[in-house]
Amino acid sequence: MEGQFLSLFDVSIAFEQSHLFFPKLITYILLGLLVIILISKRRRIPLALKQAGRAVLFAEHGFDRWRFFGTLVLIIAYFYFMAVVGDAFPNTGYGFLLTSIPFVFLLATLYVEDRSRKNLIIISVNSVVAPVLAWYVLSQLFRITLP
Amino acid sequence: MEFLSNFSPMFFLLIVAGTLIGVIFGAIPGMTATMAVAVSLPLTYALDLNSGLALLLGLYVGGISGGMVPAVLLNIPGTPSSITTTFDGYPMAKKGEGERALKVSIVASIFGGLFSAGVLFYFAPVLADFAIKFSYVEKFLIIFLALTVIASLTKNMLMGIFSGVLGVWLSLIGTYEITNGGNGETRLMFDFMEYYLVSGFSLLPVLIGIFGITTILQDAEKGFKGEAANPTIKLTKGSKFSFRIFKGQFVNLVRSSSIGTFVGMLPGVGGSAASVLAYTQEKNFSRDSSQMGKGAPQGLVASESSNNALTGGALVPLLSLGIPGDSTTAILIGAFTLQGVQVGPLFIGENIDTWYTIIIALIVANFVMFGIMFFAIKYIAKVVEVPKHILYPIIVMMCVVGAYAINYGIMFDVWTLLIFGLFGYVACKIGIELVPLIIGFILGGSAEVYFVKSIESYGNLLIFFTKSPIAVFLWVLIFISVAFSIFIRVKARRSESLASTS
Repeated sequence: MEGQFLSLFDVSIAFEQSHLFFPKLITYILLGLLVIILISKRRRIPLALKQAGRAVLFAEHGFDRWRFFGTLVLIIAYFYFMAVVGDAFPNTGYGFLLTSIPFVFLLATLYVEDRSRKNLIIISVNSVVAPVLAWYVLSQLFRITLP
Repeated sequence: MEFLSNFSPMFFLLIVAGTLIGVIFGAIPGMTATMAVAVSLPLTYALDLNSGLALLLGLYVGGISGGMVPAVLLNIPGTPSSITTTFDGYPMAKKGEGERALKVSIVASIFGGLFSAGVLFYFAPVLADFAIKFSYVEKFLIIFLALTVIASLTKNMLMGIFSGVLGVWLSLIGTYEITNGGNGETRLMFDFMEYYLVSGFSLLPVLIGIFGITTILQDAEKGFKGEAANPTIKLTKGSKFSFRIFKGQFVNLVRSSSIGTFVGMLPGVGGSAASVLAYTQEKNFSRDSSQMGKGAPQGLVASESSNNALTGGALVPLLSLGIPGDSTTAILIGAFTLQGVQVGPLFIGENIDTWYTIIIALIVANFVMFGIMFFAIKYIAKVVEVPKHILYPIIVMMCVVGAYAINYGIMFDVWTLLIFGLFGYVACKIGIELVPLIIGFILGGSAEVYFVKSIESYGNLLIFFTKSPIAVFLWVLIFISVAFSIFIRVKARRSESLASTS
């Protein structure tokens, strides 16, 4: 009797398939939880989606579309061109240095509230000094790999 | 005593540098100790183990402490754990006692920090000795316990559990490593992704993305309006600071530090819980709590000693079990791995010199923090005015360095930053909790190995209950943590409905 009861919990894992055992289990648990969450919040989801849509499309609820999507575009361009320039000058870190300067300048200009002459001068100086300093210390002094 | 040779002038200089950078980060509203560690990571790549530890622990202590500055001067907690500092600090600052409030907080901070370092020193080896006897079964259960505690203490238990499981799921993407006894096959991905994801997502780019890029996207969405929040507060107009304030505060100091240390040990509970708990305890137990919330130094003492006590507390499970206690120690675990240090039950016994170095660095960092903040608080108070449009681009830049250099130049790690930065942003919007997710991500890989190995060796699921008395004890703890959180929730709901009917 006892033996039968214990054997109910017997599990064997074939070695060739052992990489799938735990992920499968976790995936089922995850999907189960997702279903419970969706059911328990089914009333609030359409409303929240509507609000999020309006925020993105009509800049409601204080959503700053210009700065948010500007940040995304700048980051994507920054990462992309870093690799391109880095491949042109391998093992020098120039890819990092040459793309960081315009990136820091553009992102700061995007974020600054008051684009006064004084602020723009500070931003320009910062966008040259900061990347050069980071590049010099990390790449030249510390010999850290940079793109 | 061989470890004494590790302490070169460079070692102390790095602690000072780390603490200073940490304090500055902590002092900027919205920047946390986690971000300070994440951004400064590239600097540690070039350092040896001891120097790297000096820098990292300095950053950790400084980052937690710096949060008091904007809390007192601007009524904005610089880090989540300094939320209760605003309750009494800001009213004091409005009365012109800003410097007095800050100095009270600094003294409370160093007490909390040193107290928890002491607890770490005596308690972590004991816990590690105990954990050495653990087999795969107990090791799996301890991870299971950690994830249960984290998930059950989040705001919404269901979302907390979901976030933790999602973290585990994300960690399983990649190869089931042969070095861990796996069969070297990839899973949870399409064929075209294999080139990039053969070893899964790297830990540190994921963490840096979630804590660095997500914060920036969240602030970009709000549009930086009216960010020039210059403190119009005079630092020293009212009564001056003196150590007499601490007369009669000893019980408060010890109680709050103990609460902070204990909460720090619980994985993923976070700093705000520690300081809120310490603050409410002081309110309940002190002889005169009538002034609390209106500018009473005792509130600052409770808040700041508890949040600095987190540092030592969070290092206990990290160093003895390999389980990070909060988001900052989550990054530390990555930094340790990078230095070739495997934290876990064997760590202290096998690396006794490193262990002493960690303790010494932690103590020195607390004194350095005290020195820097007590005597230079006027200048540090200026940091809260540095505009974000200058800081944020530099932070993105440093995040890139941190991610790219981690595996010696892999561009996919940089894209991981963006993927998880965006993911973290969306996750916050839909109510996924980031801390359980991160802890799940860190522990997921080991959880799989321990779970599958246990079943492979015993072939029966009941082994998780019957392996040893320790296994049974761990199940009791798991049960208690779930029952406790349900109890708290029911109580909260009842008092809510009482409040609405009356």
